[in-house]
Amino acid sequence: MRHVISVLLENEPGALTRMTGLFSTRGYNIDTLNVAPTQDRSVSRVTLVVRGSDAAIAQLNTQLAKLVDVVNIHDMTLGEHFERELVIVKLKLAGHALPAARGLAERFGAEVLDESPVSFTLQLTGLLREVDEFVSAAAGIGTLAAVARSGSVAVSKGEVTLSSYSQQHRLTG
Amino acid sequence: MSNRQPVAPQNAHPLAGQSMTGADIVVQVLADEGVDTIFGYSGGAILPTYDAVFRYNDQHRRADGGAAMPLIVPANEQGAGFMAAGYARASGKVGVVMVTSGPGATNTVTPVRDCMADSVPIVVICGQVPTHAIGTDAFQEAPVTAIMGAVAKHVFLVTDPTRLEATMRTAFEIARTGRPGPVVIDIPKDVQNWEGPFAGHGTLELTGYRNRLQAVHDNRLSDEACERFYAMLAEAERPLIYAGGGVINGNATKAMRHLANAWGIPVATTLMGLGASDTTHPLSLHMLGMHGTAFANYAVEDCDFLIAIGARFDDRVAGDPVNFAPRARHIAHFDVDVAEIGKVKNVGWHHVGVLARDLEALLAYGRRIDFAKDFATWHAEVAALKQRHRLDYDRKSPLIQPYAVIEALNRIAGGKAIITTGVGQHQMWAAQYFDFREPRLWLTSGSMGTMGFGLPAAIGAQFAQPERLVIDVDGDASMRMNIGELETATTYKLPVKVVVLNNYGDGMVRQWQKLYYKGRMSASDKSLHRKDFVKTAEADGFEFAERLERPEDVEPTIEAFLAFAGPAFLEVIIDPDAGVYPMVGPGLSYDKMITGDFIASRSKPDDEEPGPSEMF
Repeated sequence: MRHVISVLLENEPGALTRMTGLFSTRGYNIDTLNVAPTQDRSVSRVTLVVRGSDAAIAQLNTQLAKLVDVVNIHDMTLGEHFERELVIVKLKLAGHALPAARGLAERFGAEVLDESPVSFTLQLTGLLREVDEFVSAAAGIGTLAAVARSGSVAVSKGEVTLSSYSQQHRLTG
Repeated sequence: MSNRQPVAPQNAHPLAGQSMTGADIVVQVLADEGVDTIFGYSGGAILPTYDAVFRYNDQHRRADGGAAMPLIVPANEQGAGFMAAGYARASGKVGVVMVTSGPGATNTVTPVRDCMADSVPIVVICGQVPTHAIGTDAFQEAPVTAIMGAVAKHVFLVTDPTRLEATMRTAFEIARTGRPGPVVIDIPKDVQNWEGPFAGHGTLELTGYRNRLQAVHDNRLSDEACERFYAMLAEAERPLIYAGGGVINGNATKAMRHLANAWGIPVATTLMGLGASDTTHPLSLHMLGMHGTAFANYAVEDCDFLIAIGARFDDRVAGDPVNFAPRARHIAHFDVDVAEIGKVKNVGWHHVGVLARDLEALLAYGRRIDFAKDFATWHAEVAALKQRHRLDYDRKSPLIQPYAVIEALNRIAGGKAIITTGVGQHQMWAAQYFDFREPRLWLTSGSMGTMGFGLPAAIGAQFAQPERLVIDVDGDASMRMNIGELETATTYKLPVKVVVLNNYGDGMVRQWQKLYYKGRMSASDKSLHRKDFVKTAEADGFEFAERLERPEDVEPTIEAFLAFAGPAFLEVIIDPDAGVYPMVGPGLSYDKMITGDFIASRSKPDDEEPGPSEMF
């Protein structure tokens, strides 16, 4: 099962390595990884996507939550959440493909960042499915010279925030 | 506790505001933390701090004229790490290691991982090449944060010297709080030479860590949880406490004994929990698990309510978690680490909190509700199990039996000595045949299983407890691993007693090869090795160094050995075929326990021949 895990992490050298190391030492590959500072520059928000059984990932998350650098952690997949990804695609165009490329941008609502008769750069933000469809549609129009995806970012639905998950584990039960 | 700002304490540090070098700041924080012994080995990148220790000791003398913070120098930095671990285990205080960059630091990786696995608080201070040289493959450079980050509780690389003081203080806090563990601080040489103001207070913020600690600290045992616990205890006829190293690390021995004795609940401990209960007490079942006593393992089979306290259902205890304690209708689990709850075995009742406080609260609740339950039948069954399935061995053998050696040591030690070990058969014999009347007497590498732990750990323990009898019970192969530390014992005139049970090989490996590999002794036999242990000890300055070869000499030799005033070494040539029994095979449930030829089993031996096992 696919899990989207969000982590607030001390913005310190080595913190990300220690966190991702927990996955690699247990033989898990991280599908996507996104990291950037939050409004508090001393804390970064990390979103990572990993596949594994629910029980194994739950155990991994409790181990993650023990890392000194980890401020908070939540498995977004346990509840309703929004997940989006950004992609920038650079297409090499042949002949008279420019109108088709513009049509692609319009159809998906993608932003054109750069265009010339031979090179066309587009940006799209959307659901993972939309991003996947967009990339394969683009491949039908020209040659994919570059595909840069941000990896998933996610927030949970409603008022809940990552920092309100401090009591995610029941300490008595 | 979150978002706390560094607030100047009401009594400002006498040195607050003074200008100091980074090295002096390191040493001053060590002094403020109450460090009285440093274990370490010098080298280029840590020289400024070694100089600062020298100057500190020059200016601060103990009443007896000794240095306030002596630097104890091992043969190898691994030795320093295990000395600090032995010191920490025997005292409950944070052990301190100070080593240089590169090989100095990497030689401590094994003890750091060992401390992590056994939850032992140490702080390792590593010199690092100067900041500008990091990452250039400089002389004696190693990527310490990357290496240690994977094995330590936490690691700091101090690149901003203004954060050095707070980082040092925070390292001690992390090492000793929550589930204790090793913390590594990597300090580039230029940071040690930097000069700036000493604040005298302040720690790093660590919002997440402190919030989690606070949540555990605030999680007092509720009346509702107590009520459910006593409902299970009232329903039980055969309750059993399964106590682990967490009871000792959490200084909860008294509270656990109060609870067990108040309601008459028998106690079996893990390898790491030995000493949590007084093993001479009628309701103590000594150790459970792979090489636990048969009576403890039978009690686990029989119990209907299992109370795990500071224990983690590790594979050496619950090799087959599904069939562990199969008749237990309820399992309760106390721990300080929420990640251990449900990790191996799902339990119906759990509590994560401050162990000593919450066990006392649980007892107080029981007294308040006048809890009473007669477990006399169970007590009689436990007594019968202990009688019928007691540890035993071939008492008529013409060869020295290792069990007899430990019984002889135990008669004199009386459950009050500190015992350290290497890893293997001798470790299990020591665990089985020694009594432990108090906590912090049994120092062994439980989880990591590091051969070579025993001698340096004994040295560290003797520094922590100068008045205690400290005995390192070692194997010939484990002794070889850190044999250089024999000289450390004599250099510092430590009266440690070193026993090598020599069976000319890796006994535990041979035992598994006999059981699982049709007796093919691949690389485990050392009968052709030429080591003369007695000469080695003599060469290293042991004035008592003897070899014991005849069963009739066991008693008098051991008496003389333990009575010797200084460091003493004794090699005992033991029956090379002596095995460790009982044994629950890896991955198996307790009903498949084999007890050998001399311990009564209550089931027929299994005729199935075991094959090479996937389990470990």
